[in-house]
Amino acid sequence: MTGVRLHPFTLLAIAGALPALAWILPAPAGAAATLAVALVLTLTPGGRPGSAGTRLSPGWRPGLAGLRTAVLTAAPFWLFLLLLHDVPTTLSIGLRITTMVASFVWLVAALEPARLVEAMVAAGWSASIAYLLAATLSAVPVLKARAQRIVEAQRCRGLSSRGGIAARLRALRALALPLVLSALHEVDERALALETRGLVPGIHRTPLAPPPDPVVERAARWVLLLACLFALIRRLM
Amino acid sequence: MRSLTLEGASFWYPATESPVLRDVSLEVAQGEIVALVGALGAGASTLLLVAADLAPRVTGGRLAGAVARRDRSGIVLPTPWTQLSGMAFTVWDEVAFGPANLGWPTHEIARQVDRALEQLELVPLASRNPTTLSGGELQRVIIAAILAMDPGLVLFDEPAAELDADGTRTLWRLIRLLANEGKAVLLATSALDALPDVADRVVWLEDGAVRAVGKPDLLADVAVCDAGLGTSVATVWRAGGLPGPYPLTVAHAVQRWR
Repeated sequence: MTGVRLHPFTLLAIAGALPALAWILPAPAGAAATLAVALVLTLTPGGRPGSAGTRLSPGWRPGLAGLRTAVLTAAPFWLFLLLLHDVPTTLSIGLRITTMVASFVWLVAALEPARLVEAMVAAGWSASIAYLLAATLSAVPVLKARAQRIVEAQRCRGLSSRGGIAARLRALRALALPLVLSALHEVDERALALETRGLVPGIHRTPLAPPPDPVVERAARWVLLLACLFALIRRLM
Repeated sequence: MRSLTLEGASFWYPATESPVLRDVSLEVAQGEIVALVGALGAGASTLLLVAADLAPRVTGGRLAGAVARRDRSGIVLPTPWTQLSGMAFTVWDEVAFGPANLGWPTHEIARQVDRALEQLELVPLASRNPTTLSGGELQRVIIAAILAMDPGLVLFDEPAAELDADGTRTLWRLIRLLANEGKAVLLATSALDALPDVADRVVWLEDGAVRAVGKPDLLADVAVCDAGLGTSVATVWRAGGLPGPYPLTVAHAVQRWR
């Protein structure tokens, strides 16, 4: 079955509109509805080649991973909210925060950075800004993969990440330091490489394969924007 | 015609007091291949960054002296995996990243990319995801990505570090081809045995300063061999206690024996 490949701006619009609506619409019903949509989206596997990306096509395994990531990331927020607030407040804020987390998790899995750059350049944005935004969105999977490699390397050297809290803290330190240092080192080298490959401020990049932007999707983005505005006005009145 | 001229160039990295380059004067002409040799920390990589206009513009630090570039430069850094754009899911797109940034028309981008892929024997890998390639394949992709931007001055920092024997031979042939096309090539390498066939001139750097400049015969010089920078043949000849001048290559050694 061929998947639907949404334009990057449409993906950004959906991922932006869901948290916005979660905070605008009355809780808990409004936030619960947006969270339901966001969680369903995390179940749709992404289409980023080699990991998870833009293709909304069947197949549940990558989606379950996205759902699990969203739930595990949001869980600590629920814990602290419960400690600080009563149940109704916890519910309303927790649902909203979880919507934000789930939307972001879905966006990271669904958005191909290269397509975003192409789309932004075709729309007249600066290539440097487009790259910056795309690189930020792709930083999560890159850091995750690097952390996995470091954990494997540390395990080879006998470090155990299981056991009591002290052992886990030691393992965390052994992961965090190389992760931060290697990321900083790579940023340095990547800056040099990107400069020499012409990614400098003020360039007029040629879009190589700008993603198609059908009228339906453009209309859908306007509908999402208007829906947010309408909900905001309705809430304020 | 000179493509690159350095006159009395000294360079300090940020927050350091002693210069990494000291009063370096060097010229590289179009169609010429100049090799930088030296021990680790001699300043060859920094010299390439200065030549590429990345130091101090991107790295920070301070440059004294004069640097003049006639052509646009492209530099191939030694670690290919940090040079990927991260914005391409095929080798073709990765190679096209630079030309697209130059704003060239799409047909010109396609022509340069296809040419670079052919030169580096990467056509069969054109649709592969760059992150799935081996180190050697990735190094060839990065070299192709720089060549596709058609730089007049090509700078290589340890270009053979990730390559196997076949890939290395292809690289040296390619560098010779680039010089024949009129490009200026400046390379820092520890693959000293290749230089007699590849380089037109060799520059010996020591502690950031130019210690000697000469033809590739320099790599059989007694002082160079004492510094561990001679070719394998010259080094073995010296280690065997045989009299100088040391032969540079196997062919020279055979001639000497006869």
